[in-house]
Amino acid sequence: MGIMNRAIRNISRRKIRALLVIIALGFSMAIMVSIPAGVLANQQTASTTASNLSNIISQTSATINQTSTQIDCSLAPSFSGFGFGNFGASTTGGSGSTPGQFGGGTSGRSGFTPGQFGGGGTPGQFGGGAFNGGQSSPMNESLYTDINSTISGVADVEPTLQASEGQNVTSTVSFNGYTRDITRLDVEYTIEGIPLTSDLIDNYPVLPTNITSGSNLQAGASGDVLLSENNSAYFNAGVGDTISILGQTFSVVGIYSPSSVSQTQTLFMNLSDAQAITNNTGYITSLTVFAQNTDAVSGVATAISSLHPELTVTTDQTRLTQLQTLQTTYNAELATAQSANSQTYSTAVEEIVVVVVATSLIVLFVMLYTVKERTKEIGTLKAIGFSNSTVMGQFMLEGILLSIIAGVVGIAIGSIAAPTLSSLLLPSVGIGTRATGAAGFLSGTTRVSGLSVATLNPELILILFGAAVLLGTLGSLYPAWRAAKIRPAEAMRYE
Amino acid sequence: MSKPVLQLENLTKTYTLGKRDVPALVNLNLTINAGEFVSIMGPSGSGKTTLLNVIGCIDKPTKGKVLIDGIDAAELPENQLYKIRRDKMGFVFQTFNLLPYLNARENVELPMEGRGKSKSEQKKRASALLAMVGLSGREEHRPQRLSAGEQQRVAIARALANNPAFILADEPTGNLDSQNKQGIIKLLANLNLTQGTTIIMVTHDSQVARNTERMLLLKDGKIVKELQGLHVNKKNRTCPHCGSSIQINDDICPTCKKPIYASDELF
Repeated sequence: MGIMNRAIRNISRRKIRALLVIIALGFSMAIMVSIPAGVLANQQTASTTASNLSNIISQTSATINQTSTQIDCSLAPSFSGFGFGNFGASTTGGSGSTPGQFGGGTSGRSGFTPGQFGGGGTPGQFGGGAFNGGQSSPMNESLYTDINSTISGVADVEPTLQASEGQNVTSTVSFNGYTRDITRLDVEYTIEGIPLTSDLIDNYPVLPTNITSGSNLQAGASGDVLLSENNSAYFNAGVGDTISILGQTFSVVGIYSPSSVSQTQTLFMNLSDAQAITNNTGYITSLTVFAQNTDAVSGVATAISSLHPELTVTTDQTRLTQLQTLQTTYNAELATAQSANSQTYSTAVEEIVVVVVATSLIVLFVMLYTVKERTKEIGTLKAIGFSNSTVMGQFMLEGILLSIIAGVVGIAIGSIAAPTLSSLLLPSVGIGTRATGAAGFLSGTTRVSGLSVATLNPELILILFGAAVLLGTLGSLYPAWRAAKIRPAEAMRYE
Repeated sequence: MSKPVLQLENLTKTYTLGKRDVPALVNLNLTINAGEFVSIMGPSGSGKTTLLNVIGCIDKPTKGKVLIDGIDAAELPENQLYKIRRDKMGFVFQTFNLLPYLNARENVELPMEGRGKSKSEQKKRASALLAMVGLSGREEHRPQRLSAGEQQRVAIARALANNPAFILADEPTGNLDSQNKQGIIKLLANLNLTQGTTIIMVTHDSQVARNTERMLLLKDGKIVKELQGLHVNKKNRTCPHCGSSIQINDDICPTCKKPIYASDELF
């Protein structure tokens, strides 16, 4: 009969009481192990959130860099077309040429906006359309190849051809006794041709990003077209269909959702395709120059202006400001995430202290009661020759054993209820959802994962066992000492 | 001449109640030799319990010596006394004080713990002791399945576990009916006679005390009277029924075949 054997028998002697005590202790142990599990889960969530936020922030700064390095160059629109002047030339203008448009020469280009006086041997010399808003004048793309080669600080140049197509609508306007027929183009779609080089489409925001079906235009694609949702309705075509644009057949590779009103009718294709179908080979309507970095922007802009004074050079300050605001927001989110995490941590520490104290108190009171109840037995043991240390060891062992059994129960409860317990006990991090929202704002490219679930890992289980032994020791130290101090005389007449 | 197992020399014990000193034992001298069966009697407040506690190394005397097997227990520090209790004496209590969650044998093994005996040795000795007190075959029974008398027998076996210098019995028959009372007295007397066990018994029951060889009467902390008892197992037993000579262990008269109860012989 060792003390271990006796300890086990003593615990099992009062089965219901032992069961209740073990359940109470087990529950507090489960709480004890659920809290660190929750903290770990929260940390995991927070670190995922933080890393996702960092990704978003770096993406944002990349976008900022791209945008802020973007310099739009175009010929100043000429509003001469607003007048009633007729700049006559041949009427052999290409398709879509508008009434009152006097396309020069036989190489007249189609598709420029109404009131635009296209064509002729000297492209880029003619005023842009007035009726349909400031459409840039066409310019000879070869004229500007020098920008890329002669100006330092330029990372890339994107030449763009934009042309609107539609029906002419003629109306009669009376003015001051004069009557004139005015014709304007009711735009049905706008062709935007951009060079589909991987260099451009991979590194710069030249194509729409929110593709709703199909895929985006691929580098080097020819004969492919990316339609806006409006285009899709207009052409009554979906992904995989072929449509005819200005007599040329194109296959629809994807449909995108426009990010701005100005894009609603724009379809994207290869620059050379756009140039070909609109009879504008060699011509573009705008140039977008990307500076190597933000600091280089103003230098590059000035250099372009001095090299080609005829160009209107603009940098996009508004979007830059917006993106910078966004980045500030993300940084704030990150800070919130980190502070929420540290808040969770300090709450967890407080709760663990409470649970540890509560658990020790349970052990303390149960063992004190046991000692009180067994005074006579302890007196007897001492009278028949048990030493103080043996008696003390006996009760310590009982307390520790009780805690260890409770620890096992606690692990059992914890492995089932840890997620529930920890979510009840710890404030949710919550930053995960906010970060997702923020990510969604940034074209949904980055998603932040949801909250991690609290689970028990082997380390936690091991720690809990250690804690069970420690708390059992702590809680039964005083009762065991009390037991050791019981006088053998208590065995005599105590009833 | 037997050697003394207990010598009390000028033993004085004074309790302090508030500012008053209350003498419990006053200059008490007593020698008990090996093989004696002594009963200590006295009215309440005579100092019986105090004397028992001092002999049992539970209380320390204010003055004087408590020589147990020649060792002065009064001089020993607290952390040594448990060894004296374990090795030199065996306690028998009024309420038996068996551990309810241990069976009879395990209860008897308890004092042997920590004495370097192997498990099987402990078991063997416990079984032998239980057989000696008439409980062979009942080793595995827990106290609640034993009668009061049987429980006290287990307690006596437990007291004998470490071959003590003496058994210290505190009202061993106080909780027993008359039949069991006789049985226990007879068992103690038999142990005393056949095994030479020294027994010091505190009781207030004069009929029980009369069964011992030596009766000490305690009053106001002093031994006021010493009497020779009627030893139940005196060497020359005669049958109370027919008067013929009987042996020490005879329960039934070999001549008249009537059962012999201790009460018939003694009271």
